[in-house]
Amino acid sequence: MTFAALSLAVALQMSGPLSVGAKVPAATVKMKNAADGKMISIADVTGKAGTLVIFTCNHCPFARGWEKRITELANTYSKKGVGVILVNANDPAMHDEDGLAGTQARAQSLGLQVPYVVDESSAVARAFGASVTPEAFLFDAQGKLAYHGTVDDNHRDADKVQKRYLKDALDAVVAGKVPPVPETKGLGCGIKFRNG
Amino acid sequence: MAAVRAPGARAVLVNVWASWCEPCREEMPELLRYYRDNRARGLRLVLVSADDEEQRADVERLLAAQGFDGPAFIKHGDEMAFINGLDRHWSGELPSTFVFDGQGTKKLFWPGTITYGELGRRVGRLLAPAGKRASGAAKAADPTETPKTPSRRNP
Repeated sequence: MTFAALSLAVALQMSGPLSVGAKVPAATVKMKNAADGKMISIADVTGKAGTLVIFTCNHCPFARGWEKRITELANTYSKKGVGVILVNANDPAMHDEDGLAGTQARAQSLGLQVPYVVDESSAVARAFGASVTPEAFLFDAQGKLAYHGTVDDNHRDADKVQKRYLKDALDAVVAGKVPPVPETKGLGCGIKFRNG
Repeated sequence: MAAVRAPGARAVLVNVWASWCEPCREEMPELLRYYRDNRARGLRLVLVSADDEEQRADVERLLAAQGFDGPAFIKHGDEMAFINGLDRHWSGELPSTFVFDGQGTKKLFWPGTITYGELGRRVGRLLAPAGKRASGAAKAADPTETPKTPSRRNP
């Protein structure tokens, strides 16, 4: 990577995530679906009630801690009119399991019923300003960002969750309402951006 | 922040880590080596664990194994409040390191792991006696400054 490209990448990473109300960026960028190898974009999965994009990965303790809850939310709300797509933007050179084969295996073992794609240049993650895994971006029926942030307030123990941020936001969006808490933060692993 | 603002330091490194975070554990010897080599010049190291209270024993065991004898803290309470309390611009990425000057003003921020060499290049000038900082200190005064080549080795 040239110095200029590296500087640009750093600038993009530091520019912060999308603001609430923003439209879906990089919506037509095709990414490989781990389940069947087909190239799909966020635009391809857009739902009538809304669209949920979650940047996640296969090795991160936070992503692993939340993965069953993410799967449950994805499978449940995809049946309620929300288009859902999970995006792995990590460079597999850093962690083997974040490659296509590892992503396919993870999707199968979790029973994911929505696409889990590989962002092969990390371009989509950069366009969103995503920085950690997992990190959720929920767009409403009009395609505007309604919620951005973490899944809930306890990645380690689902039984101790007190604030179900993402579920509450999904319920609101499906009902055509504004999420009660539109932006949250949670600890997470840094996305291992590929040289793009 | 009292540990950051306590008098006697020219620069303070605040490293946020977790016991289960492999890159955090990997970078710690580098951090500690830089701290030990430079504490006589006025460097202070503050370690902040993002572990939960239930993991306190792991945290204490790891710090003891590293022989760290400086200020160390563990996350308490709400995670979002913890993140914003450290820096409202911080995404929550682990590990991360913040650098403050002796007055408690944030000067630098590293998301991801750092090395001894990077610390020397970026923090060294804050440790220089006041009269020798000159242009370097002026450049370091931008609190949004981030190294051009941050390491991206995260958990």
